[in-house]
Amino acid sequence: MATTFEAAKNGILTNGNHVDLTSGHYNLEQDAIKEAEGTKEMTNGVQEPDEDVPEIDIEISNVVCSFSVRCHLNLREIALKGTNVEFKRDQGMVTMKLRRPYTTASIWSSGKVTVTGATTEPCARIAARRVARQLQRIGFNTKFANYRVVNVLGSCVMPFNIKIAPFSEQYRSQASYEPELHPGVTFRINKPYRATLKIFSTGSITITGAPSVLAVQSAVEQIFPLVQPFRSERTAAQIERMKNRAELKRLKTVGYNKPSKKIKQELNSEDGLDEEEAEDEDEEEDDDVLSDEID
Amino acid sequence: MYNLFYRMEANKVCCYAHPDAPLIEDYRAGDQICSDCGLVVGDRVIDVGSEWRTFSNEKSGTDPSRVGGPENPLLNGSDLSTVIGPGRGDASFDDFGVSKYQNRRTMSSSDRALINAFREINGMADRINLAKTIVDRANNLFKQVHDGKNLKGRSNDAISSACLYIACRQEGVPRTFKEICAVSKVSKKEIGRCFKLILKALETSVDLITTGDFMSRFCSNLSLPNMVQKAATHIARKAVELDIVPGRSPISVAAAAIYMASQASNDKRSQKEIGDIAGVADVTIRQSYKLMYPMAAQLFPADFKFATPIEDLPQM
Repeated sequence: MATTFEAAKNGILTNGNHVDLTSGHYNLEQDAIKEAEGTKEMTNGVQEPDEDVPEIDIEISNVVCSFSVRCHLNLREIALKGTNVEFKRDQGMVTMKLRRPYTTASIWSSGKVTVTGATTEPCARIAARRVARQLQRIGFNTKFANYRVVNVLGSCVMPFNIKIAPFSEQYRSQASYEPELHPGVTFRINKPYRATLKIFSTGSITITGAPSVLAVQSAVEQIFPLVQPFRSERTAAQIERMKNRAELKRLKTVGYNKPSKKIKQELNSEDGLDEEEAEDEDEEEDDDVLSDEID
Repeated sequence: MYNLFYRMEANKVCCYAHPDAPLIEDYRAGDQICSDCGLVVGDRVIDVGSEWRTFSNEKSGTDPSRVGGPENPLLNGSDLSTVIGPGRGDASFDDFGVSKYQNRRTMSSSDRALINAFREINGMADRINLAKTIVDRANNLFKQVHDGKNLKGRSNDAISSACLYIACRQEGVPRTFKEICAVSKVSKKEIGRCFKLILKALETSVDLITTGDFMSRFCSNLSLPNMVQKAATHIARKAVELDIVPGRSPISVAAAAIYMASQASNDKRSQKEIGDIAGVADVTIRQSYKLMYPMAAQLFPADFKFATPIEDLPQM
């Protein structure tokens, strides 16, 4: 289990297999580069190294980092000479989008750069270096200074529903639940790392404001025993719906998009063969228990 | 004659024979009378009541009272300052008709914002007919927030609306954000933000809202009879207990419960009407109702008289 923990620290894990670091030939840097190139299959799943607790998949959706090139940048020049750049004059910055890894960099004239959209920490570093390299090629005397990960966003789903009202009552000092404002509980933790968790009654938990992937992991580990006493059963309909959702999400990554309502109507009216498809789609359109109102 | 004045303490006057007897004050004669023996102890006591009676409908611009309104002790700088009143008579006017002594100076410039905010809170509370206790509590909260100075950048209107909201909550009669929004110039988002900031600044917390808090108000606005209101309260409470509406705002659950109860009785209300009163979209009521409908039999109170039986309740 220690190996997965270390691997988690570096933010790389393969498809549920345990990373064997004892082999000696495993090169994490190489792995990271391959990921950035897109040749390696990215899952971004981080296994929780707890034995007596069921494994929970934490999905890291965004890693935000910032660094400085330590020289003043001429934004106009970058906007003219750079590729894939967009000059946002009203905000005084240039946004540069990279294709691999798929990230966006916001460049200010002071030389500070913020890179968002990366999925793992090494990915973010590589993207940052790529941006700095691009700026260097334009002609600025760039350095790579003050690189730090500013924010990591992750999410996970508990295997049970959560009764958020009694939960928020018990942890009054740290939790804030206002059903009129937001359907989830905002739980703030301070030690060992700072993080803000949004806990929903469906069992999904979103972690933001964490300084590193490790912090996200420790936050989930911290919250699990706190949330477990307030668990409640899931109905079969809910489980079915969640499965359908996950299925659709997976299909989307391959490139399949749910047909829009118009197309579905056309299909419906054309021939009876497509009726089965239409029925399946209707299930998704059922009122979502999972999507709570934000009134 | 024997001097009848016997002072036990420096400030207290009392009858010499009965030092512990309470004194009855006779305002008309200006006397203080011992309640035991009827001896007149105080003499020519000055009446501290008001000199003139003021009526709110009197349109006279001149207020003959020479002392002004009551002092607002906790909430102002509590400075005893003198104010130059508006001039009357010919002597107070210049050759050009301009009053000689300029109108009253800003007596409490540091508390100008406070006074404005209090007026704002008062106005808002007046529009939704809130009790004076809530207004006082809101004023207190605003004063605390103002002194703390961590919400200095926020607009005073937003802070006063949020203070009013918190005051209602703390008094046990919560108003929804939308209701406060309706009488305020600020958006719900801003009030929500200020609300969270104030709780953090004052380090207090408020109780979670329950469905029962809003039942009486919503039902009265829909002019539903008491039976329906009681049934709706029961339904909502049961629904939350059985946890059949996880993640739904208590307002939506309350609205759906009112819908269910009203549809089962003689006074039926449509989802749109209830949504208007509660500030909830009617699709939201529909969603919550759909969750509650399967367990309708368990939700209704045992002694409810069904005008429309459960099987005939609308399924939408």
